Amino acid sequence: MPSLTPLTMSPAIELIDITKRFPGVLANDRISLQIERGEIHALVGENGAGKSTLMKILYGLHQPDAGTIRMAGNPVSLVSPRRAIALGIGMVHQHFKLIPRFTVAENVVLGSEPSRAGRLDMNAARVRLRALCAQYGFVLDPDAEVGTLSVGEQQRVEIVKVLYRGAEVLILDEPTAVLTPQEVDDLFGNLRRLRAEGKTIIFISHILEEVLAIADRITVLRRGRVVGTLPAAGVTKAQIAELMVGRPVLLDLPVPPVSPGAVRLEVQGAVVAGARGRPAVRGVSFAVRSGEIYGIAGVEGNGQTELVEALVGLRPLIAGRLTIMGQDVTHGGPRAIRLLGVGHIPEDRHVRGLVLPMEVRENLILGHHGRPTFCSGLLLNQEGIDAFSDDRIERFDIRTPSVQTPALALSGGNQQKVIVAREFAFAPSVLIAAQPTRGLDIGATEFVRRQVLEARSAGLAVVLVSAMLDEILSLADRIGVIHAGDIVAEFPRGGATPREIGLYMTGGSSSGRARVEGQPA
Amino acid sequence: MTDLLLSLGSLALIASAVRLTVPILLTALGAVFSERGGVVNIGLEGIMIMGTFFGAAITHVVAQTVLPAGAGGPAAVLAPAAGMLAAMVAGVAFSLIHAVVAVTFRVDQIISGVALNLLAVGLARFLNILFFGVATQSPGIRGFAPFDIPGLKEIPALAPIATGISPIVPVALIAVIAGQWILVHTVFGLRLRAVGEHPGAADALGIDVARMRYAGVLIGGALGGLAGGYLSIEQGRGYLEGMTQGRGFIALAAMIFGNWWPVGALGASALFGYFDALSLRVVQSSIPYQFITVLPHIVSILVLAGFMRRATPPAADGIPYTKEEA
Amino acid sequence: MRLALLQAMTPPLAILFGFVAAAGIILAIGKDPLDVYGMMLRFSLTRVDSIAAILFKATPLIFAGLGVALSFRVNLWNIGVEGQYYVGAFAAAWVGFAIRGLPAAIHLPLAIVAALAAGMLWALVPIVLRLKRGAHEVITTIMMNYIAGALVLYLLADVFRDPAQAGSPRVRTPELLPSARVPLLRPLLEPLGIPIPEHSALNWFLVLGIALCVLASFLLARSRFGYEVRAVAANPAAAEAAGIGLGRVQFLVFLISGAIAGLVGLSDVLGFFGYFDIDFPKGLGFLGISVALLARNNPLGIIPAALLFGFLDRGAQGVQVFAGVPREVITILQAIVILAIVVAYELLTRYVRTQRKREAQRVAAAAPAAMGEAVP
Repeated sequence: MPSLTPLTMSPAIELIDITKRFPGVLANDRISLQIERGEIHALVGENGAGKSTLMKILYGLHQPDAGTIRMAGNPVSLVSPRRAIALGIGMVHQHFKLIPRFTVAENVVLGSEPSRAGRLDMNAARVRLRALCAQYGFVLDPDAEVGTLSVGEQQRVEIVKVLYRGAEVLILDEPTAVLTPQEVDDLFGNLRRLRAEGKTIIFISHILEEVLAIADRITVLRRGRVVGTLPAAGVTKAQIAELMVGRPVLLDLPVPPVSPGAVRLEVQGAVVAGARGRPAVRGVSFAVRSGEIYGIAGVEGNGQTELVEALVGLRPLIAGRLTIMGQDVTHGGPRAIRLLGVGHIPEDRHVRGLVLPMEVRENLILGHHGRPTFCSGLLLNQEGIDAFSDDRIERFDIRTPSVQTPALALSGGNQQKVIVAREFAFAPSVLIAAQPTRGLDIGATEFVRRQVLEARSAGLAVVLVSAMLDEILSLADRIGVIHAGDIVAEFPRGGATPREIGLYMTGGSSSGRARVEGQPA
Repeated sequence: MTDLLLSLGSLALIASAVRLTVPILLTALGAVFSERGGVVNIGLEGIMIMGTFFGAAITHVVAQTVLPAGAGGPAAVLAPAAGMLAAMVAGVAFSLIHAVVAVTFRVDQIISGVALNLLAVGLARFLNILFFGVATQSPGIRGFAPFDIPGLKEIPALAPIATGISPIVPVALIAVIAGQWILVHTVFGLRLRAVGEHPGAADALGIDVARMRYAGVLIGGALGGLAGGYLSIEQGRGYLEGMTQGRGFIALAAMIFGNWWPVGALGASALFGYFDALSLRVVQSSIPYQFITVLPHIVSILVLAGFMRRATPPAADGIPYTKEEA
Repeated sequence: MRLALLQAMTPPLAILFGFVAAAGIILAIGKDPLDVYGMMLRFSLTRVDSIAAILFKATPLIFAGLGVALSFRVNLWNIGVEGQYYVGAFAAAWVGFAIRGLPAAIHLPLAIVAALAAGMLWALVPIVLRLKRGAHEVITTIMMNYIAGALVLYLLADVFRDPAQAGSPRVRTPELLPSARVPLLRPLLEPLGIPIPEHSALNWFLVLGIALCVLASFLLARSRFGYEVRAVAANPAAAEAAGIGLGRVQFLVFLISGAIAGLVGLSDVLGFFGYFDIDFPKGLGFLGISVALLARNNPLGIIPAALLFGFLDRGAQGVQVFAGVPREVITILQAIVILAIVVAYELLTRYVRTQRKREAQRVAAAAPAAMGEAVP
């Protein structure tokens, strides 16, 4: 419940019949919404439901094709971010828009710099910054280079950026996706403090537990329309999920019992270099058996990326050993490891997984293009490739106008299906899946998780790396918690609570702040 | 051998090096501004060419029209000054093409630069024919009267570097210092750098990315044009086809070696200027003279080979910026 | 398909734009553009010696364009074609005058191999520095151009200068032996009824160039290495993850590009001049870049693009002699066409991309709920 009674009767923000079209899709369909001053209002929906678009309209990055926006009862025209900022709307982006080489102060004041006749006055900037931090209880060093800050600290910089410009309405776009449970608590503490100071907060998320923990009211979007606005008290995750998808959703997939076989992948004492020459992985050891899913839980940035790259041969091991299918591939390389039957679902499909301008069928054979089915001598065997592609598209229900469509034209979910279809194609022995459901909607997420379980049933040794704790908890047979490049704890399925794992994810210590209880007031 | 070594450090050589550093320095400074904004400009060679031509041509034209009226005095300054100005304007106009093609149309910046160089060569020949009837050179011109540093010039040992200095030399040095200060201490400098590091962040804060990038490119054009003007007016005393000798590219190497800071570009340009001067002076040597003339070019390759690993370009350098669509 | 039509229309539109812009310049110097263009067309297309001249001028451009296009394809900027062809032509000339007593069946191929090797060698330093040290190949290849000029000048003037020419202003190598010369096309075409003027040096390198383009196009699309080249070109990170050796592919393509560049000057030196002299044609490398850009780095497109530039070159001669318009106007026209073309291609690519996206979204949206998505 908001702790201040609203000063005016009209809502802080009112959206009336907002409609927005993009080529081929109706992103927002006559959306009407009221956000009260001094409340934390959550906006939930699947990927593609239109929440991001709506908020970008509110921030002036897009113009609606139809509809009105009112602030405190008066119609406003948000033609640009500058205008929105001037009217007191501030956006904290999901992908931080921070300049790593600039300092905190420089990032915060950019565009609204204190100056005298064109000359920067960074001292004034520092003073104002310190005052803001004191007022809202943030801890930030104005002269620190943003690139050296932790993710949680960077997010604080983003929040201070909007407060610096006098935001009264803060929009947070998927703020908790990259935070540890502890950092989420810190963030929520900050948000409650902001609410106490009379700020209005719009919180976009698809992580339902958190939405229920922090929001006063929740609006659910589905396919561009509002399907309901409810008070957060008394609502269950299942109810919200059903509203989001339009049908009852299986939040947990059934896990068949499988008895693990021989060890297929073993890493001992792996040390891998990260940015600036410092080791990102410091002596990680684990073994994965056939028919087993080893889940690596951890907040992004703790060495998972580098570890996965080392496992598939894209990054060299400075020390330690990697053994796959009994072969020492410590100094292998992507090709050698692939030939041992290792399938890899990369964490960034656009970077490592697909050659976007190439056709779907060409992407389906990427990495396997040298096989006899696809090659005769120096030339490619087009019939073989086409037959294979048709089979894969059918088996995995990949939605594409044709096999010749370039991969960049496909949706994220279908792109991921292309990758999954490819990596599963040649009876692999090991599967390494990194953040496989990132950016996918509930339907595609369900599909990919099913495939991972299928792989396990088929006897593959699976390494699953995910920043989504519930994904690891539901799929993994054994869980390794990674923190600062080290596996700090290992548990079997059901052997630890989420809170415990979260504690290990942050290094086993609390941050020193008092833990805030999760239930809303 | 000691003779050779001594001559490597002679003041006359240093003086010559200073003179030869100027065109590289000015162009490198221009390149810094352009790339700090995130736009790579391979076309600086072409911009310099335009500067060499227009500098010489306008100086000649003004000298012909003004001097008969009142020889010497202010008129003698007017012609080269007009020439320098014309060179800068030509540089700006030419770089405007690059800005439109690379920033507004978001064509690959390397391609745009290469096309610009092709255009410059053809245009210079054509304009020269138009102005002077022949394709490859202009009539001789006179530049600024060189000045001497008072006090220092009295010392015979220092004479070589204290006398006969073109007024553009101090202009160049001031430009470097001003450039460094602008980049670090002004609002414009901060925003330009922001646009080159992370245009999305700048855009979200209401900064006009295209406008800042245009500014960087045009400043680069002005400085490149000025460099060309200096080459033809102060050094070559006339326009000659090919007189830039690839300095526009060497300036890019200097920018890289200077790690995209004006002060760094100064040091790097001085290095190339030194080798340029060396190539002109080492006449008696067992090495054939043709190779001496390409000494700066060889040095450029060595510098790039040695330095690139530690180079830290602006993060968004060379990447056309597209506003988010969705 | 509307898209295909648009893609086909783009080059002619850009060329038209170039002509219009150049017309402005022609007007500015007091001539009638229509007159000039008409004369240019008549001169270039109605005279037999013009057709032969166009084909002859296009020959080196085919090699230059192909060399550049291959390197541009893998996002490597081989601006060094200029230097590579210079050393290649000189190397072939050297084989031609320095090695005696070989039958033509060996001498000519040997000269060609020398050119290939020299071009490849000149491309080696920049690519190695790029792969091992990250040195930007634009600058290093351009520097190598200047060094090539200096080297060849030295070899011409101080080492291999034809003693028979001493005392004259001509600086050139000795004459090449006939066994190193490339056969002309006239003996083949004339019996077929195709008229070729007496003095034309049109030779078999034209055929070789066209054949190379066709071969390159075929291999790119249909061979395994071509697939790897395309993957590396479009997304090196994904290609690496798939086990394709990035450095290996880039290295090979760049060297091939240099080798082909080495052949650029052979039509002139082995077909026309018969020696290498100080006035050997320059600038063919940069013209090659223009050809490659016009052809959008497509090997098959190189052929018409080279022909167009050959046509323009011939036309430039004509307008200078017969219309009193400096041939540089045509050079400017070429540059404007290039600029117009790259802008047009960029806009076109974006448009095609949006259309494709729309199409795929329609297909995905037609699916039952919860599969695929409608972004944004």
